[in-house]
Amino acid sequence: MTTSSDTGSRAVADRLYRKRRLINGFNLLASGACAVFGLFWLVWILWTTLRHGIAAIKPSLFTQMTPPPGAEGGLANALFGSLLMNLMAILIGTVIGIAAGTYLSEFARKKPLGEVIRFVNDILLSAPSIVLGLFIYTLVVRQMGHFSALAGALALSLIVLPVVVRTTDEMLQLVPSQMREAALSLGVPQWKVTVQVLYRSALPGIVTGVLLALARISGETAPLLFTALNNQYWSTDVTQPMASVPVVMFQYAMSPYESWQSLAWAGAFVVTVFVLLLSVLSRTILIRNKVSHD
Amino acid sequence: MTDAHFSVSSTGASAAAVAVHPAARPKMSARNLDFFYNGFHALKGVDFDIAEKRVTALIGPSGCGKSTLLRIFNRIYSIYPKLEAKGEVLLDGENILDPKYPLNRLRAKVGMVFQKPVPFPMSIYDNIAYAIRHYEKLPRSELDARVELALTQGALWGEVKDKLKQSALGLSGGQQQRLCIARAIALRPEVILLDEPTSALDPIATGKIEQLISELKDHYTIAIVTHNMQQAARCSDYTAFMYLGELVEFGATEMLFTKPSKKQTEDYITGRFG
Repeated sequence: MTTSSDTGSRAVADRLYRKRRLINGFNLLASGACAVFGLFWLVWILWTTLRHGIAAIKPSLFTQMTPPPGAEGGLANALFGSLLMNLMAILIGTVIGIAAGTYLSEFARKKPLGEVIRFVNDILLSAPSIVLGLFIYTLVVRQMGHFSALAGALALSLIVLPVVVRTTDEMLQLVPSQMREAALSLGVPQWKVTVQVLYRSALPGIVTGVLLALARISGETAPLLFTALNNQYWSTDVTQPMASVPVVMFQYAMSPYESWQSLAWAGAFVVTVFVLLLSVLSRTILIRNKVSHD
Repeated sequence: MTDAHFSVSSTGASAAAVAVHPAARPKMSARNLDFFYNGFHALKGVDFDIAEKRVTALIGPSGCGKSTLLRIFNRIYSIYPKLEAKGEVLLDGENILDPKYPLNRLRAKVGMVFQKPVPFPMSIYDNIAYAIRHYEKLPRSELDARVELALTQGALWGEVKDKLKQSALGLSGGQQQRLCIARAIALRPEVILLDEPTSALDPIATGKIEQLISELKDHYTIAIVTHNMQQAARCSDYTAFMYLGELVEFGATEMLFTKPSKKQTEDYITGRFG
């Protein structure tokens, strides 16, 4: 009697187990296939960029200016322009962003005003970059009467700002409240605790956020079209139009000239490698920090 | 002053159990203290003393308000919104709940160590030197001496003296907690509040901390919240039993554990509830 019911329940258990294994196998296969599908396009894009880009990489790329159609040249002015505008944007966005993120996490946590600011920041975070470009166009370019690198940097800093605000806010909130209590218990004022203890704890996360923001603006074209425009010549004057790699790429890739197209590929390659390095760097910072915390 | 107290009471009725620890001066006192968590009445009319250079333990079941009470003594609760303390808490006769009482001076005098050890993300040396640098401008050699003294008092010097420049995050849990105690001591506070300092530690590390507490009480006034009744019995001079936000019984540790006067206390220490 008992044996038969035992074998019966075992048969049910076996059947359920086989069914689970089947479902598991199917789902594993499906998710694996999806991953391969996604990676396929990524590898293809990287491969194409690499193949066309490597061929166009020459020392002259970094020493010569963007050429007229048909002539030989490089991207020196565009590379410099990108570097300068990105640096300015990071500087503006990081300083304001860290201050704002600190306010949100340390002084306005769970307060209505903080929630409103956080919400608005999230909207800014997902705002299309072309809108930010148009905003700066109206605000700065129209007022100045002409395009300028300064306007370009400002447009890019509007992309950096919400990213830095968000990461600073989140990384500071991740610092255990007991660390705040321990530091404040020593009678050290709050601003000093924030700057000397909490920032130290949150720094790797904040740096990572800044690096990812830099990676994001390195490829932004839309906000620069209405602001910094372009410049065929070497220029270091931030009140004047300035070339940038993405805008040059945009212009050259659309052109019918082969020499321009090959320069566009070279630009694409340089930007891709730069972004890749930034991602690897930010990842390294995060991982190394995690290990040291354990 | 305290010496006089000693001689008077030790020549007196030393047979009485209460006089095991002759009347020590209260360093801090709570008077008719109420506390509200966002409207919830967490402490109800508590009267409580922390005796000078003694160890006072707070025991009671979870949620009885013992940590809440401890966290009022350096006003650390005030960093969170919607918490309110009413009544008086005196430090050497001055009401620290008075908004005019300088908060950072209070916290320099009344140090605190928490349940979970939280070393700052900096070197072992800087963890100790951090707060000293905030209050005093010392030449390097003097600062070194202060750091060494604090780590020695924290019973950690021998283990870390060769790696002062290394990150404090690399220490074990027990070492981190002794570092936190040393960090609090380094400021030469008058009172040290310990909020379940050993609940995250293994028995060996716990033993070291308990030994440390008994060494520290010669110089500091100590209040400790603990879940562990044996710990309270082992290392405190006075014990308070709290239940549902009220101070049920408060007296000499030996009395409270051997002849509790309240039924609730007896039930708790004999393990019948809590």
